[in-house]
Amino acid sequence: MIPVTVLTGFLGSGKTTLLGKLLRSPAFARTAVIINEFGEVGLDHDLIETSDESFVTLQTGCLCCSIRGDLVLTLADILRRRDEGTVAPFERVVIETSGLADPAPILHAVMSDDALAERLTLSGVVTTVDAVHGEETLARQPESIKQVAVADRLVLTKTDLVDAVPAALTDRLAALNPSAPLLPTSFGDLDPERLFDARIWDPAGKLVPEHDLHKHHGAHDRNRHDERIACFALIREQPIPAVALTLFLEVLAEHCGADLLRLKGILAIAESPERPAVIHGVQHMFHAPGFLERWPSDDRRSRLVFIARDLPRVFAEALLDAIDAEVRETATTAAEASE
Amino acid sequence: MTHDTVALIHRLLAASLVAWHVDGRVEREADDLTLTAGEHTLLIARGAPPFRWTVTLAGRTRGVTSIAGLLRTARRVVDPDHQASRLRIAPGPLVSP
Repeated sequence: MIPVTVLTGFLGSGKTTLLGKLLRSPAFARTAVIINEFGEVGLDHDLIETSDESFVTLQTGCLCCSIRGDLVLTLADILRRRDEGTVAPFERVVIETSGLADPAPILHAVMSDDALAERLTLSGVVTTVDAVHGEETLARQPESIKQVAVADRLVLTKTDLVDAVPAALTDRLAALNPSAPLLPTSFGDLDPERLFDARIWDPAGKLVPEHDLHKHHGAHDRNRHDERIACFALIREQPIPAVALTLFLEVLAEHCGADLLRLKGILAIAESPERPAVIHGVQHMFHAPGFLERWPSDDRRSRLVFIARDLPRVFAEALLDAIDAEVRETATTAAEASE
Repeated sequence: MTHDTVALIHRLLAASLVAWHVDGRVEREADDLTLTAGEHTLLIARGAPPFRWTVTLAGRTRGVTSIAGLLRTARRVVDPDHQASRLRIAPGPLVSP
């Protein structure tokens, strides 16, 4: 499977600079880049130099608005050209979004196409945030908040232009998405390995510990009033029946789909408690659960991390509790009836 | 429907109103729940198999088989403009535990 990384970030936040630097790194050879620019005349692709083993293709228009199908076609086209040998045999794909893009529909496009899913897998979302203007951008541009919320890695750019990264900005980022590591950089200097190891199937480095959520609790409360986006975790000591998990996700998608910016979790499933299930979703779109060989630590509790807009924690908690109880009650009733 | 289950559904319905941004309340009397929002009043009671609950609105009673159905029924009444999404699972290899 060829990993696909979505590189997003608001206008001027340093996506192209970062990408340009990465593509000149030997460790990042054999990369196909799809750049989406908003406007009739694209420019970013001319600003990027690549090695002979990588190449850049361009789309204009906003990927998230009207030409999502074009992204699927472009991905299919570069795969075909790879098979024909007319482009280098790339080993990864990077999609650089327009700075104005809501990344969720782009992630859906990558995740939902049957043909592409046989060869491509979404490996993560990298979001750039400008250390100079990031705070103001987050205050004024709702798209930038979504870009931060869905990130697996946050890259803090232009740190050379500030004496110290504003604590208000880092607090804000930690409150919006405490599970994404924050990687400071200037001029795009960053070890590619730190950036593109964001495997969505690996929960160990992504689920935020409960104490971190507590640490940012004040910021969460502020978020709820200012941006309507909050991050919270549900933790369960007891394994969850598989059907309860399915029903829980179905109801969440039905009632909160558009507002569920990101949900990821590692769960003890009652039917296979020794092998934790990993789930990952963006809005109403989820990957099929994956099962790890073993628990990554001694902590065997089920942990679900939500980043959502206008979704009260109490609703998610009450829903999981009620569905879990309903499933167990149904199983008990069925068992009694069969005796 | 056990005593505890009624408490869980009571809590869930109250939380749902908050999540849906609907002004209303949920009250409990014995094992029955009454959801009131605006001009609408839903009576939620224990159902007979295969229905886990019944929902009565304006004198008409219907059965629902699950919490998902209960919430769907309630929301259609109190938040008719809501556009529901459906869970989609991305194509990919299915792995058994």
